[in-house]
Amino acid sequence: MLHINNLTYSYEKTVYDFSLHVDKNEIVGIIGESGSGKSTLLDLIAGFLTPLSGSMTFKNEDIVLLSAEKRPITTLFQKYNTFEHLSVIKNVLLGISTSLKPKKQDLKEAKQILKEVGLEGFEDKLASSLSGGQSQRVALARSLLRKKPILLLDEPFTGLDLQTRTKMLDLVKKISKKRELYTIMVTHELNDCKLIADKVYKVENGKLCQV
Amino acid sequence: MRSNSISRFRLSIIPGGVISLLLLFLAFGVFYILFLSSDYESFSSSLISNRIFGLIKFTVFQAFLSTLISIIIGTFLAWSLAHQSSFFGRNFLIALLSSSLVLPTLIVVFGIISILGNNGWINRLLLYFFDYSFGNYVYGLSGILIAHVYLNASFAARSLLHVFESIPKERYKLAKSLNFSTYQRFILIEFPAIRLSLKSISSTIFLLCFTSFAIVLTIGGSPAFNTLEVAIYEAVKLDFDIPLALKLALIQLSITLFLVVLSANFKVGASDIKTSSSKIPWSEPKKLKIFQISIISFSTFLFVLPLISVFIDGLGADFKRILSDEIFLKSFLTSLVIATFSSILTVIFALLISDTRRNFNINHRVKKSKFRNFINLLIAFSGNIYLAIPSLILGLGFFLFSLKFQLPLMFWAVLAVLCANVLMSLPFALAIIYPPMLKIAQRYDKLAFSLNLNGKKRWLYCEWPYLKSSVAYVFALSFCLSLGDLGVIALFGSNDITTLPWYLYQLMGSYQTKDGAGVALILLVLTLSVFIFLPKVFKNASYK
Repeated sequence: MLHINNLTYSYEKTVYDFSLHVDKNEIVGIIGESGSGKSTLLDLIAGFLTPLSGSMTFKNEDIVLLSAEKRPITTLFQKYNTFEHLSVIKNVLLGISTSLKPKKQDLKEAKQILKEVGLEGFEDKLASSLSGGQSQRVALARSLLRKKPILLLDEPFTGLDLQTRTKMLDLVKKISKKRELYTIMVTHELNDCKLIADKVYKVENGKLCQV
Repeated sequence: MRSNSISRFRLSIIPGGVISLLLLFLAFGVFYILFLSSDYESFSSSLISNRIFGLIKFTVFQAFLSTLISIIIGTFLAWSLAHQSSFFGRNFLIALLSSSLVLPTLIVVFGIISILGNNGWINRLLLYFFDYSFGNYVYGLSGILIAHVYLNASFAARSLLHVFESIPKERYKLAKSLNFSTYQRFILIEFPAIRLSLKSISSTIFLLCFTSFAIVLTIGGSPAFNTLEVAIYEAVKLDFDIPLALKLALIQLSITLFLVVLSANFKVGASDIKTSSSKIPWSEPKKLKIFQISIISFSTFLFVLPLISVFIDGLGADFKRILSDEIFLKSFLTSLVIATFSSILTVIFALLISDTRRNFNINHRVKKSKFRNFINLLIAFSGNIYLAIPSLILGLGFFLFSLKFQLPLMFWAVLAVLCANVLMSLPFALAIIYPPMLKIAQRYDKLAFSLNLNGKKRWLYCEWPYLKSSVAYVFALSFCLSLGDLGVIALFGSNDITTLPWYLYQLMGSYQTKDGAGVALILLVLTLSVFIFLPKVFKNASYK
């Protein structure tokens, strides 16, 4: 279980104090107005921001002092998830090793995951040639390849058309459940949460309240 | 709780921080040696004599006039180019306008003299057709203004064109739907957009003209048309009057510092040679179109003519003799070596300073605070020291160091020229490299951290693909600026150390016009080739 207990942070006179529990195989949706602190919460969990106080444990192990890359967490960002000058397969393989010298097994696994997210046959295409939805699929594939148990989604499908967004949400739900992930998704669309989330929280006055 | 942020970026803060400190230390050292060497009593006894007052007056006057004319011509040209976005040779013309930034001033002077000089094209044509000559009218204020306007109007036009093209096209569509006249369009849409840039471009041009050296030295003609910079040079090199040079240097330093502080939003514009392809959605009335095309044609003619004259005159030179001349070969090689080294140093300094500076501009790296703002300002200032300390004053500082510390003059000369070249290019280099580096960090930091892309790997995947074109452009710009500079070398130039511009200046001074034309052509071809073609070799990965 992921336990977040009174993780505090302050920014420009606003003090945030977050507490949250996420179970295995559970998808938690976080909604809130622009600037309410949704992304700050994800940045604190992912390790991009340092909290003032509080604790964060995963499977009874304190992870709050770990740096971003050492946390059992992978994040799908809203934008800039891929390096446009690299091919799809290289972008995905970055999830395994940054040296980009994959073993046969790694390559096989990467291709398998690309198939899982519906990008079979796209391996050698440049990331710059993909549509918004396809780019996010590449990023999702890379996140899955990292085999981290906690998946954070920071408004990942904003800007996509309704049909693509619904498809992507279905895909996330399917994969999260299949792989028994701890998933936290931040969005400003309540409907997105209704589609896939088991629990929904709202960020209000720097705190999380269950909806 | 432990701060992840600072520890994560400690490595990227240190190298650029050390360079910034070194630059600030160098500036402090120059100030210190100037003050230490000045004789306080003689300095204060007749602080501003009539001669010095005359020098200040003329320096300000020529800089003001040059700025005013450059801005007027530059604005008209940029406006015309923005509205005439599809004609043959437009991209080439804009590339030429961009290259004015790096054109060696001596080439411009050479071209102008070749057209307007006593034996120039105009006088020869007049003599041929009307048996009349204007005589030697190019030396003096007129020549200084023409050369300054030639270099700076094109710089203003290129910078302003970028601003015109950045105006959202929706504003034009709205104005059109509201039936705006051309005048209303300019006053209500275009002028508000260019107003801020006009201020910063004007202050840039004023400072460049205020500290202009090579043009005034070669085309000024008589002491009546001397500026502070040339007077410093003459005091050191011709009269050996170091106290006077110091007095002038301190006066000039005070004025340039005052000007830099006064224009607080001073920014160096260094638009690259790419242009926007999006067309302004406004078809011009026929008369206005003719007016704009006339401005473009006339400006192109005036801009290209001196360059053509350098080409034509140069082709008539005896290259066999020039290329076998030992002094030419020596100055050519010295110029290439110095330009290469200073360009490499400029690129490294710009990358490291930008890397350090972006830490103080991104909230997830270093939290917002007054201290952060102060450090940010200090780092930015360290890269722009040249604006306050022109190269000749820097050269004077090194000259005084050479008198104080007994090391070979050659050592001081090379060090001074390298420092001056790097400092001169650094403001442009930072203006080009810092914005994309900041953008890369804003976009890819989180992804890079989560994938553990550090050091070499981060540079390989995250930075270089998006920076290589800017790095190549900075290298080319810095190389050309170094190649054509006649500043510090004028103080240190001798038989032992000579560069191409110094060699060209000596040829011009000894009336070896034919050889001069050949050397000018070599310098021009080298500069334009490096500046236009090198950045094309490296193409950036595109942002989406």
